[in-house]
Amino acid sequence: MHIDYWGAVKHSTAGRLGTGLLLAVLAAGAAAPLWPHAPEAFSQAVLQPPSATHWLGTNDVGQDVAAQLLHGARRSLAVAVAAGCLTTVLSFLIGAAAALGGRLADTALMRLTDAMLAIPTVVLVIVLAAYVPLRFTGLVLVLAFTGWATGARVVRARTLTLKNRAHVLAARTFGASRRYLLLRHILPDIAPVVLVAFIQTAQRAVLLEAGLAFLGVGDPDAPSWGMMLHQALGFYYTPAWSWWLLPPGIALAVTLFSFLLLGSALEPLLDPRLRRDEHA
Amino acid sequence: MLEIRNLTLSYGQHAILHDVSFDLREGESLAVIGESGAGKTSIGMAIAGLSRGKLAGRVRWRGEDLLALSPEEMRRRRWTQIALVFQSVGDALHPALRVVDQVAEPLVEHGLADRVAALERARELLHQVRLPAEKQRAFPHTLSGGEKQRAMIAMALICDPQLVIMDEPTASLDAATKKDILALIRRVCRDRTLIVMTHDLGSTARVCERAAVLYGGRILEEGPAETVLGRPRHPYTRGLLRAFPDITATKDLQGVPGTTVLPSAGCVFAPRCTQALEACRAAEPPLLDRGDGRRLACHRGGIIPVLRVDGLRKRFGNTVAVDGVSLTVEHGETLAVVGESGSGKTTLANLVMGLVPADSGEVYLEEEPVRRRSKEFYRCVQMVFQDPMESISHRFDVLRAVREPLDLLNNMPPEERLERVRQALADVQLPADDDFLAKYPHHLSRGEAQRVTIARALTVRPRLLVADEPTSALDASVQAKIIKLLLDLQEKRGMALILITHDIALARKVSDRIAVMQAGRIVECGETAAVLADPRHPYTRALISAHTPPNPPLSPPCR
Repeated sequence: MHIDYWGAVKHSTAGRLGTGLLLAVLAAGAAAPLWPHAPEAFSQAVLQPPSATHWLGTNDVGQDVAAQLLHGARRSLAVAVAAGCLTTVLSFLIGAAAALGGRLADTALMRLTDAMLAIPTVVLVIVLAAYVPLRFTGLVLVLAFTGWATGARVVRARTLTLKNRAHVLAARTFGASRRYLLLRHILPDIAPVVLVAFIQTAQRAVLLEAGLAFLGVGDPDAPSWGMMLHQALGFYYTPAWSWWLLPPGIALAVTLFSFLLLGSALEPLLDPRLRRDEHA
Repeated sequence: MLEIRNLTLSYGQHAILHDVSFDLREGESLAVIGESGAGKTSIGMAIAGLSRGKLAGRVRWRGEDLLALSPEEMRRRRWTQIALVFQSVGDALHPALRVVDQVAEPLVEHGLADRVAALERARELLHQVRLPAEKQRAFPHTLSGGEKQRAMIAMALICDPQLVIMDEPTASLDAATKKDILALIRRVCRDRTLIVMTHDLGSTARVCERAAVLYGGRILEEGPAETVLGRPRHPYTRGLLRAFPDITATKDLQGVPGTTVLPSAGCVFAPRCTQALEACRAAEPPLLDRGDGRRLACHRGGIIPVLRVDGLRKRFGNTVAVDGVSLTVEHGETLAVVGESGSGKTTLANLVMGLVPADSGEVYLEEEPVRRRSKEFYRCVQMVFQDPMESISHRFDVLRAVREPLDLLNNMPPEERLERVRQALADVQLPADDDFLAKYPHHLSRGEAQRVTIARALTVRPRLLVADEPTSALDASVQAKIIKLLLDLQEKRGMALILITHDIALARKVSDRIAVMQAGRIVECGETAAVLADPRHPYTRALISAHTPPNPPLSPPCR
């Protein structure tokens, strides 16, 4: 019985819409270098409304808003994928280690998880930002470090039920190592959980990246939607808000929404009762 | 006294007997037990000087070395001192001579009596063996098998020999006749030295005081019949006993694994032995005294336990699931662990397999304490789980599932693994073609899936298989097939089996020994037939009565 991930996405409206929106954001990011204006290029034309040369107008230092928007998509998606992957791997390893590693490892890792869940993430990230420069790698590391706890709990719970399944016990009677059990018997069965955890952490990464940039603790050199929002907010009383403040806000909402839709489309995979049985 | 030392007989290159030695005091009786081809008849022929092969060694009868005698001297001693009763009674009597004449013949032949006296003596003897007068005058072909056998015995005794050798005296006789003949042998040979060659372990062998088990021309076990047949120590003796129908045994018949293949070196039984070591294949074990009057030829000192657990305990929270369980499973035997659900049977299996850690107690594999469950342990001990669907990963096709133990436990080339997989599937009577190998568990019936898990466990050729309720998830008809299959495989592979079941009726049919488990303890343990015939513990009795059909309804009282 193989899980038909693509089928689950394809057969739900949410899945199709989410995929469409995400592809649009991806296309925007991919198209960024082709845009005639560079995001950081200053010009004399400041606070210009949309025109033929500047489709979304310019900001207070004459930079092209459309170029910044497109490059912001690149950064958002890159952070989403990198932080999503790293966080999910951490969640998987820590959760599985707790479940399979014996009572001592379980207690230690779960107390650590509880502690991580108890600390407010944003505060922790801001504190960390004081020590780690939040360029791309630093940002991804900080997001992963603060985000693994929820996923680890889920992975641990699923692994605990799976590890007493007869086929896992049988594999143990063939002298299987923990690594083998994890990769051959447990991972395939918790793959949907891992996938959904990935989507959730990716979504969280997009939101936190924008939030940090908005709060001004982001990377000042990288054009990002959060930074655009941060800068545009200073000019909300001018007509510029409609072409400078609104587009990054909408882009952010669309990206987050597309992750949400994909997540909900994959939800039936987590619960066999919602799953359409291909052999029925 | 008969003294046989290193008797060796060969025809050209073929050694039929090899260093056969035993002593027989005057008046003692010995049963030589073995399958056809073991060399039983050859021993008799060699003693009686009728053997045509090349003989070596010594056969001393009353101080005379029979092998050194000339054919003429030997001829004179035959019938008068040493009498031989041949196996095929039908052919041994001359069809054209009346029975009484034939019986009298050796007496006349050896010049011990004239014809009239000889006939008189023959009639007397035939009367003793209870062959009626009209039958005495008849021709052999009108006699039944039992009657011919009586005539042969009378003929053997006519010259009053002191050593009587009987080759399969009861083969092909029905049970009632056999009983008669055995009683007769016992009566007429009471004060003679008697050697009986037989494959009948049930009754014939038990007429004798001593028993020697012959295999491939060698004595493997020898001693008082009661000891050898009652508590066999050599795996072959036990195998023979198991293959023999016995009215008190409850287990189905099982043969000895494999067929007779005589190796060029080492113990003759090693190719069929389940506990053979390298040493067994290298050198032949000497026939050594083992204390209880028994001599045994086995490097391992006889049957050894493949697995022993001692004082195993496991508690989950406040409940003690397994409470000080000690059990022994010998090589090649089936031990049934019976108890209702919740009695701790599955926990016991999991403790043995190392799937849950024990609180205390020890597990020994071939008397070596098991500390960590190494790959070596799992190569020797395998398990079949209760629910076949659960115990195969639903993401594995049949090939991957069955190959998994090989992938993990054996370093063999991939083609060889595939070959083993196909072989294992064929062993459990499943198709082994590519179509079947590509099936997933949900394409299989439960019975098929359980066969797949059995095949999987057997790919590594374990010495012990732990089967935890292997049939409780299956229909009755499928259950019967799976159980038969397990027993067939046990016979073929010679592995030991721990069968965990709640079904005491099933245990009765398949196990050699039974352990009854209640609330984590073994309350009764012993030979299956003995325990079921005379259960001591109330719980055993309750289990048995739960499996006994209720009495027919009472008929309404008469008015």
